[in-house]
Amino acid sequence: MIELSVHKKLRAPSGEMQLSVDINFPKRSFVCIYGKSGSGKTTLFKIISGIMQPDRGQIVVNGKTWLKTDDKFHLKPQKRKVGFVFQDYALFPNMTVLENLEYGLEKGQSKSIIDELIGLMELGVLADRKPDTISGGQKQRVALARALVQKPEILLLDEPLSALDHEMRIKLQEYILKVHQQYELTTLLISHDVSEILKMADTLYHLDDGKIIRQGKPVEVFTRKEISGKLQLTGEVVAVEPQDFMCLITVLIGNELAKVVVVRNEKELLKPGDKVLIASKAFNPVVKKIG
Amino acid sequence: MNSLKGIITNITVNGSLSLVHLDVSGAVFSVIVIDTPKTASYLSTGNQVSVIFKETEVVIGTGKEFNVSLQNRLEGKISEIQSGELLSKIILDTNAGKIVSVITTRAVKNLGLKRGTEAVALIKTNEIMLTA
Repeated sequence: MIELSVHKKLRAPSGEMQLSVDINFPKRSFVCIYGKSGSGKTTLFKIISGIMQPDRGQIVVNGKTWLKTDDKFHLKPQKRKVGFVFQDYALFPNMTVLENLEYGLEKGQSKSIIDELIGLMELGVLADRKPDTISGGQKQRVALARALVQKPEILLLDEPLSALDHEMRIKLQEYILKVHQQYELTTLLISHDVSEILKMADTLYHLDDGKIIRQGKPVEVFTRKEISGKLQLTGEVVAVEPQDFMCLITVLIGNELAKVVVVRNEKELLKPGDKVLIASKAFNPVVKKIG
Repeated sequence: MNSLKGIITNITVNGSLSLVHLDVSGAVFSVIVIDTPKTASYLSTGNQVSVIFKETEVVIGTGKEFNVSLQNRLEGKISEIQSGELLSKIILDTNAGKIVSVITTRAVKNLGLKRGTEAVALIKTNEIMLTA
């Protein structure tokens, strides 16, 4: 179980803000922190990793106390088993990929984890390259591997995929899910991307102005209510073609395109970029074996 | 999307399917869902739920006597028709509220549908979704 109780007064662009988060979730959860910029998400991560102090709070990770302000107890950042991946890759430019990974080793730690991560993250061909000679997606794979060198209990991902193109994001999502399972991590992800959250996270906390305003299973939080249709897909509208009183909308679901006809309702006009839930009864689709 | 309010009056469970009867402003609706009161908390007699179905799944009938299998029927009066070359959108005012139906323009002509025509909206049991 991860128990977070964090209270801190922050100076936000809009004035003072009170960050107040009290949440518990089981070990091995994949938690998403969702919210506008300036809502306190990154601050929460900094407090978890120990590089920032809350005014008041307690952090207990799988029975071990990392922070208890009442007892003035504060475990040093390097003693907390946390892996951190940011949006910018934060790799050392003068070191090769391999050296970047080795830098993450603790004193006396066996190098076998490096080989394992290189295999798992398919970094073998990149091992001797310098960061500025590899792509953004590759850099982020290296950053993810480096965050795992010390076998963290908690992996903090602060919008790690937002600078990447769609295809790269999908690939990185797969890698993140793979390591999340392989290393039995408890992963916290900051993301704005609804389809990414639905794909990755099992628990969502919506942070707004320093407070959790909604929480639950992502699909329930985003759709707000249960709908009985058993074929439910979420995707992003990529094209809208009006015709008479209808619209043919093209929706990107994962990496597949689907077309759906909607009868136009002036109040709910869809536009490209909108995230949508497509629901149909289990009775409707026909199924055909392929291959 | 058509959305009407209904009160659950009866639930018959068989395996993982439930046949749900609802009172939709006096009309009896039957809906089949792949859920049971055990898997979906909203399935409870007396609960108010939304009955949702797509405009393109609404059949329009006229006249009093016809034998068809569709059990979900709402009588009303057509308040608006927008006709495209192939398809037409019909708005039917019923006791349960406005129902939108999309049928072929040819069908509109064959049935002689106009504003003010009394008609029945029919929806198949397996085309209706429920939401709490």
